Amino acid sequence: MKKKWKTGRIDKGISLLLSIILVFSVLGAVVFSVSRKITKEMSESAVQNLSESLDLIKGTLEAILQKEAEFQLLIAREIAAKEDPKEFIRSYNKNRTMVKLSLVMEGETEGISNTGDVFTEEGLDFSAGETVDELPISKSYLNYMGTWAYTMKCPVERDGQRIAWLYVEYIYDSFEKSLPVGFYNGRAMLYIMDAHSERFVLKPKGAGERDAGHLNLEDFYYANKIMEENIRAEVAECVKNSQNILFYHDIRSVNSLTYMWAVNGGSVYLVGYVPLEAIQQESRTVNQNIFIVVVVMLGAFFLCCMLYFFRQKEQNRIRREREAEREIHNRQLAEALQAAQLANSSKTMFLSNMSHDIRTPMNAVLGFTTLLAKDAENPEKVRAYTKKITASGQHLLSLINDILDVSKIESGKVVLSVEEFTLNDLVSSVDAIIRPMAQAKNQKFHVDVMGVHHEYLLGDETRINQILINLLSNAVKYTQEGGSIWFRIIGLKQRSSQYEHIRIEVEDNGYGMTPEYLETIFDAFTRAENSTTNKVQGTGLGMAITKNIVELMGGTIDVASEINKGSLFRVELEFRIPEGRKALEFWQKNGISRILIAGSDTALCENIRLMMEESGVSADTAAGAEEALLRLKESSERYSLVLFDWNIPDIGAAEAAKRLRNALPDTSPLLFLTAYDADGMEEALRFPNTGILMKPFFVSVLQEKLLEMQDGQSKARNTVIAEDKGLNGLRFLAAEDNEINAEILTEILSLEGAYCEIAENGQIAVERFSQAAEGEFDAILMDVQMPVMNGYEATRAIRALPRRDAAEIPIIAMTANAFAEDEKEALSAGMNVHLSKPIDVELLKKVVKDIVQRRESS
Amino acid sequence: MRKNLGCIKKLTAVCMAGMTVFAMAACAKEPEVFTSESDNGKIVNLFGPMEKSKPDKNNIARNAFDMTIAIAEEQLGLRVEYRTYTAENYKEKTYDDVTLDRARNALDDIYLLNPDTIQTLGSEGYLEDLSILKNVENLRDVVKVSNTVDGKLVAIPQEVVAYGLFINEELFEQYHLSPPETPEEFLECCRVFKENGIETPVGANRWWLENFVFAQVYADLYNGGNTEAEIAALNSGEKKYSDYMRSGFEFLQELIDKGYIDAEKASISEAIEAEGPDFLAQKTPIVMAYWSAANAETAYGAPDFSMKVIGFPSTRGQMPVLSMSGYGLNANAEHKQDALEVLDIVLSNEALELYAQTNKVISPSKNVEVECTPALQPLNDRIMENVYVLGSNAGMKVEQWGNTCLIVRKLLNGATVDECMAEFDRLQEESLK
Repeated sequence: MKKKWKTGRIDKGISLLLSIILVFSVLGAVVFSVSRKITKEMSESAVQNLSESLDLIKGTLEAILQKEAEFQLLIAREIAAKEDPKEFIRSYNKNRTMVKLSLVMEGETEGISNTGDVFTEEGLDFSAGETVDELPISKSYLNYMGTWAYTMKCPVERDGQRIAWLYVEYIYDSFEKSLPVGFYNGRAMLYIMDAHSERFVLKPKGAGERDAGHLNLEDFYYANKIMEENIRAEVAECVKNSQNILFYHDIRSVNSLTYMWAVNGGSVYLVGYVPLEAIQQESRTVNQNIFIVVVVMLGAFFLCCMLYFFRQKEQNRIRREREAEREIHNRQLAEALQAAQLANSSKTMFLSNMSHDIRTPMNAVLGFTTLLAKDAENPEKVRAYTKKITASGQHLLSLINDILDVSKIESGKVVLSVEEFTLNDLVSSVDAIIRPMAQAKNQKFHVDVMGVHHEYLLGDETRINQILINLLSNAVKYTQEGGSIWFRIIGLKQRSSQYEHIRIEVEDNGYGMTPEYLETIFDAFTRAENSTTNKVQGTGLGMAITKNIVELMGGTIDVASEINKGSLFRVELEFRIPEGRKALEFWQKNGISRILIAGSDTALCENIRLMMEESGVSADTAAGAEEALLRLKESSERYSLVLFDWNIPDIGAAEAAKRLRNALPDTSPLLFLTAYDADGMEEALRFPNTGILMKPFFVSVLQEKLLEMQDGQSKARNTVIAEDKGLNGLRFLAAEDNEINAEILTEILSLEGAYCEIAENGQIAVERFSQAAEGEFDAILMDVQMPVMNGYEATRAIRALPRRDAAEIPIIAMTANAFAEDEKEALSAGMNVHLSKPIDVELLKKVVKDIVQRRESS
Repeated sequence: MRKNLGCIKKLTAVCMAGMTVFAMAACAKEPEVFTSESDNGKIVNLFGPMEKSKPDKNNIARNAFDMTIAIAEEQLGLRVEYRTYTAENYKEKTYDDVTLDRARNALDDIYLLNPDTIQTLGSEGYLEDLSILKNVENLRDVVKVSNTVDGKLVAIPQEVVAYGLFINEELFEQYHLSPPETPEEFLECCRVFKENGIETPVGANRWWLENFVFAQVYADLYNGGNTEAEIAALNSGEKKYSDYMRSGFEFLQELIDKGYIDAEKASISEAIEAEGPDFLAQKTPIVMAYWSAANAETAYGAPDFSMKVIGFPSTRGQMPVLSMSGYGLNANAEHKQDALEVLDIVLSNEALELYAQTNKVISPSKNVEVECTPALQPLNDRIMENVYVLGSNAGMKVEQWGNTCLIVRKLLNGATVDECMAEFDRLQEESLK
């Protein structure tokens, strides 16, 4: 259809073009014929004009001759009246026209002239018989003045008797004053020629080019290359018959019109030529004007066409733009509609899932509550039911947390809290959470840190933690019992010296994922399988949250997976390296400048060496115990510390420990690197100044370990498990406006042997604390959202109280505001710890214990 | 796109404006057939010779003159009107005859005069003293001396005309001849040419044969270091012109007798007209002409052979003959003041340089030097060595250029050398009266 329309347009264009060509052809033909006609008519007119001009000159010359003849007759009459005619002649003064008067008396051959010379007719040739007003006129001759002249003679008659002949000599120069200065603007050549001698006798002023001074007709022919015999014969014939003649001939390569114009019956001729362009100037001008008009019209036409064309083009462009815009809008609308439909579908699906997911644990809670009411007397069943109710409640809680998290990320309200953290803490905290989960499924959990140059970094630790927990908990979740999970932190080549480039890999050999699912794994509200049919429960939001956080940090996440073979998640992130670390100071202070790292895992040794050198300590590596011993033998005092990989194959760890210890001075620490599940460590720890360092290796951990060993506490810490006193005997002040929560809290704490006093809002809590004796309360449990005064304000008020323990008393936030931002705000208000509701008693116990212990130790 | 449209609109406006101007220009006034007096009506009449025209050829000597005249016209706002005369044949009045008539009747303002007419008209008082022109100070001394009559500088040339022999080098080489230095060598060359079938070795006309005479007879006078005394002796009658002239005329007679010159033809031939075509056709190996003829297309400017211009043979070797055609101002000129101003400009350094550069001639101004063409180099070398004779010298009481020319014609027409010498004696006697 489109092609047909295009073809139609081309056809239309061609026919339009042909029409224009036709119109212009007709117009051109008309203009050409008009121009030709005008040229022809104007040429004829120009020739006519030239003829008239020549006639005018001819008339002028003939009038001069006529007047000369008449004047000569008058003089003759006057002479006749004189008694002494000769005296009259002698007394005559020549003028510019009549340069010589002569008189020959009848019957004499000699006469007199006004010049005083004797005059005879000899030398004057009247044989041609030419006359002016019946007076004979001689052939032209060069006179005594050196110019061309002619003489007319007339009889002097007295009483009817001729008494003498009067000869008057005229010069051609006198014609000049009566002739035009320029003929055709000086472009026309004009000579006066004596017809009989064919001698050019005058070239009037301004008549033609001045470097052309022709001698006679022959010279004129020769100079202008008029050599055609027929032309010359025709001219001769015309001159003979005293006729005028005009003929076209090229003169000096210019097409010219040559003229021979008879004057005074052919005694004198006007000879010359004029270039055609000079006489046809008018026709040329007219044609030029026609041409100009045509050009102007064509120009105007083409300008109009151009304007029309560009306007059309502009309109087409605008139309196309509008169409494109409309198309974009339509597409966007369609996409929006599709997205909305998809979202709706997803939400519907999600709601369906959530409905199921929420109802399932809720059903369990309510069901077991019912069962609990029935079997209240049976302690075993009660414990079993409460355990299941707790599990269902925790699942319900994680569902709610994830939903809220996604909602917040998607609405762009998440702000990263960038602070300094150590990879050691990060790995430790993740390990602490994941390892028990993995152990619960008999899975092997491997942690590796490689090639990381900087351990202290700037970033949002909470969110990184969230990423790692999500990935690792999924790995645990989607890996069968007895499987393996690898958690690797790999230092990549730095793109900038200010940033540490890290890749986090989480790999498992679990169920794996289908390619189809991989495409949507990072979309919200998706799960590997529909949760209604899957035993694995979850919100389907974890990966979406993870991806969003990674991208928020400017990183990337990708995944590779194969069904029944496992999955590999890779997260690449860049963290800013904090400035001014004090690691160097630590080593200097402790006198450690060079260490020895021994182990069969060369990659591990090299990694440790790099990390140590980054922190300012030189390090040597040894491939095994033997090599290490050799180095120590060479110079044991050279090394301030020896790190030794427990998994050393050559001589056995215990034996190696013994020999190394012997080789080292007692003051130099010997530390064994080991994994959690290493055996035989107890034996090694019996040696003095010897300790264990858990993998993965971190410089900060090494530093802490060294400090511990210096304090002599390491052994106790490594072997003795701290006594768990629980919360027994502790006194809490709890600010909680919700009575049920307050009751639950009171009950839980009382079960743990602690006392809890409830304040209904922040204000009351502040007042109560201010009235309490110092040390009356061990800690304050602070709800956040409360009437009268919220938890933040209350905390600030407490911290601001003028009492010694106001700044020290632990304040623990216990709030339903569970986001990282909430935690941040709580801490900034002066609280020590943030715990989200519902209260996890174990967690509360741990936190309280840590705070109390810290306070005691300080 | 919007920007483009704006540009197109501007372009359209410019085009429309252009078309309007174009259309209005088409309505310009048409030229008239007859034009009225141009400029401010001031005219100066100039009478000069005109070589016969040749088809499609420019007379560059005349062009150079026109260029200097154009300078004057532009600066003075007047028009110089040319008048000319050329004799149709030897029977008619010569240009010099007509010049004398016209000057005596004050028909023109400025005349281009040959040396003899300069002396004649100068001595008759028809020529204005041009020493009042401010550009006179630029002239070479030899120029001033040659054109001073009765203490008045009566003419000033635009070029110092040097006459020489134009030889066909190829023909000379063909017959193993060297360019002749002395009269004897010249006769020998002619003999060889004649014997080799060249009927008339020397192409001649009725005007320039006297150069042979001047070169021979005045070689010692002008180059012997006693010039002034010798001229004084001639002017006083102490020495006779005929004593000088005889050898030259005898030499010419020998050339005629041996058929090296066609006397009959020469006596009726105009300059270049008769001998020129044969020389260019390589039928004649030797002609005589003036310096500019070697540069002018109308003369020998573009020969098809290797040409050299040498001096005339003399006892002192090749001898250039210098002559001065000059511009004279009629003492009774109708437009005398305007004509004086025209001459002052035409003879200015600027104009003379333009003239000399265009024609490649020797300038009368000591401030203008021009490189000559290779053909003229031998002649130029001699002049630069200050070796030359003057063909005309107003300091001699007997006019040389015209009189000698006329007496040579008599020789051509059959007079004997003695008769010719008698004519010189007569002229000298007249001058002593």
